[in-house]
Amino acid sequence: MIKLDIAGLGVWSPYFSNWKEFSDGINTGCWQLNAKLQPNLIPPRERRRAPLSVKLAVEVMSQACEMACLDPANAAVVFSSAMGDMQITDYLCRTLSTPPRLVSPTRFHNSVHNATTGYWSIASHCHAATNAISAYEYTAPVAFLEAAIQALEEDIPVLLVTQEMAAPLALHDTCPSDQPFSCAMLLTPTGYFASPLASIQFSVSGDSVNWPDIPEDLRLNLESNFGARLVPLIAAVADHGFTRTILPVNLKFPLSSNSSLKLSVSNRK
Amino acid sequence: MRIAISSYTATSALGLGLKSIQEAINNSCSGLRSNDLKNCDLDTWIGRVQSVEATALPPHLDHLQSRNNQLAWLGLQQNGFLANVDQLIDQVGANRIGVVMATTTSSIGRTEEGYACMEPSGQMPKEYDQPEIHNLHSPGIFVSRATGLKGPSMTISTACSSSAKVFATASRWIKYGLVDAVLVGGVDSLCLSVMYGFNSLELLSPNPCRPFDRRRDGINLGEAAGFALLTKEELAPAAEFALLGYGESSDAYHMSHPHPEGKGALMAMEQALKRSGIPATEIDYINLHGTASKANDLIETYTLSQCFPTSTLASSTKGWTGHTLGAAGILESIITLESMLHGIVPGTLNCGEPDPEFRFPILKKNTKMLIRNAMSNSFGFGGNNAALIFGRIND
Repeated sequence: MIKLDIAGLGVWSPYFSNWKEFSDGINTGCWQLNAKLQPNLIPPRERRRAPLSVKLAVEVMSQACEMACLDPANAAVVFSSAMGDMQITDYLCRTLSTPPRLVSPTRFHNSVHNATTGYWSIASHCHAATNAISAYEYTAPVAFLEAAIQALEEDIPVLLVTQEMAAPLALHDTCPSDQPFSCAMLLTPTGYFASPLASIQFSVSGDSVNWPDIPEDLRLNLESNFGARLVPLIAAVADHGFTRTILPVNLKFPLSSNSSLKLSVSNRK
Repeated sequence: MRIAISSYTATSALGLGLKSIQEAINNSCSGLRSNDLKNCDLDTWIGRVQSVEATALPPHLDHLQSRNNQLAWLGLQQNGFLANVDQLIDQVGANRIGVVMATTTSSIGRTEEGYACMEPSGQMPKEYDQPEIHNLHSPGIFVSRATGLKGPSMTISTACSSSAKVFATASRWIKYGLVDAVLVGGVDSLCLSVMYGFNSLELLSPNPCRPFDRRRDGINLGEAAGFALLTKEELAPAAEFALLGYGESSDAYHMSHPHPEGKGALMAMEQALKRSGIPATEIDYINLHGTASKANDLIETYTLSQCFPTSTLASSTKGWTGHTLGAAGILESIITLESMLHGIVPGTLNCGEPDPEFRFPILKKNTKMLIRNAMSNSFGFGGNNAALIFGRIND
């Protein structure tokens, strides 16, 4: 088994705008559809140009760093999303479908998958390695694996983001997500911080497993969002804050149709 | 632990496989042509791969049809690469080999076509009902299926540094022991999104691109598929080259303009040198990002002057292939490995007179030299930088 720590978490969906609202919701089972988004970290010039996908990612990343009291400049980043910014893809494909095919230069440079990490690095003065990946429906657990191996092999904190935006009609069959969801997890080698939120042990095996169930009172359009596939993991950490769940919690996530990530969340040591 | 490069191949505007690269470089013969991409009337030059359209996917991969996957399939056929993958599977098992692909636009060319014949319902016609290609991981899905590899599979998309970063991820996966080997690759194909997108930024040249020339006036887009097998050294006793170091950094400056002093680029190069343990004086050749944009070439030469002695040979090969975006990192790494193999350092095609503002000499003409160690630079939008260092195994 491979070990590492979770030192900070950030979340956003239309039902919760930060970790406290997420944890409170899990504790009470009450959710309100009115989450606000105020990504103040992005400088005004960039904020005007930044699409929602970027604002969401920057928001959850800064939440996770704040929770761990880590200067954002000191973490490498693995941003993940199966589809990237689908509103921009939809815009580009529509605009290019007939002449004169004039596309907006700002929307074009925002179309790169690493637009989120580009704006993040500007906003947080982060010169560290930043990555942007996809593994289609398996994006979230594969990105966890990528971030974990980077944290352990290079002995650095790595900020993992799993995010998926709402799909436009033409892409809905490819990515059936109806609302945006974004989550950031600050992963560190064991003992990097004296008191992390939780410790994780994991292993990879060559077997076929199903997605774990999302807790019943947390089915807020999250089941169909590829970015929310690790919600059972963060729910276990949140639950533990209210001592509803007895840790360790064992979870299995598919990494592909024939491989899996086995993961155990336990108390911080 | 060094990471061995046990096999590699590349297909680009120069032709199919490695032989096409060597011939084009020896003959100083560019693969660029006046833009003839379907439905695209822009006045520019492109590095298009011939016969992509005529490439048939095997029946079991037919549902993954897209220009990008046709290019990937064409590329995988060259230099016995698939046979080498099969041999590695026999050695360590398909579960122990990961797949890390790179792309900027994946199969979006196919999505563009679907949108162009959209149904009144707002959905693409039935023949475009291909969820596995209308997403960024299309190259990873395609290559995993085409090779039968069963290790972790993902696709990196960090603009023009994408397929340099696949080497960094593969190195970490192998060194940590997650897998024994990784198939890395980069596939990007010409599509309307990139053509009209770069045009909107006024970055396309109406001429064959002239990297580092004082009259350079923009880039030419190209397409390519490059693949390599990276393994633990003991699994590839016949390998000649190794990945010695990598560096990854962020400019933290601007979305589409490089840092004016190349801060991020310099950090990536310094990090790669540090990881490799090789002093800058022992890097004999640098394959530059050298896009032929005004800003990149000026800043990249300034960055070199901060780090390397002016005796280091440095050139851009984009005058041969165009800028292949998410495939550029691996295509240019493979051109670098071929230069090491054949002892011929490529010059900078179309560079007549280097810009007098440059602080670093640019190699104009092909030069015979036995390269010990070489570096390849890749910088992308969002200020995303990567540098790779390659060396000889039996040094």
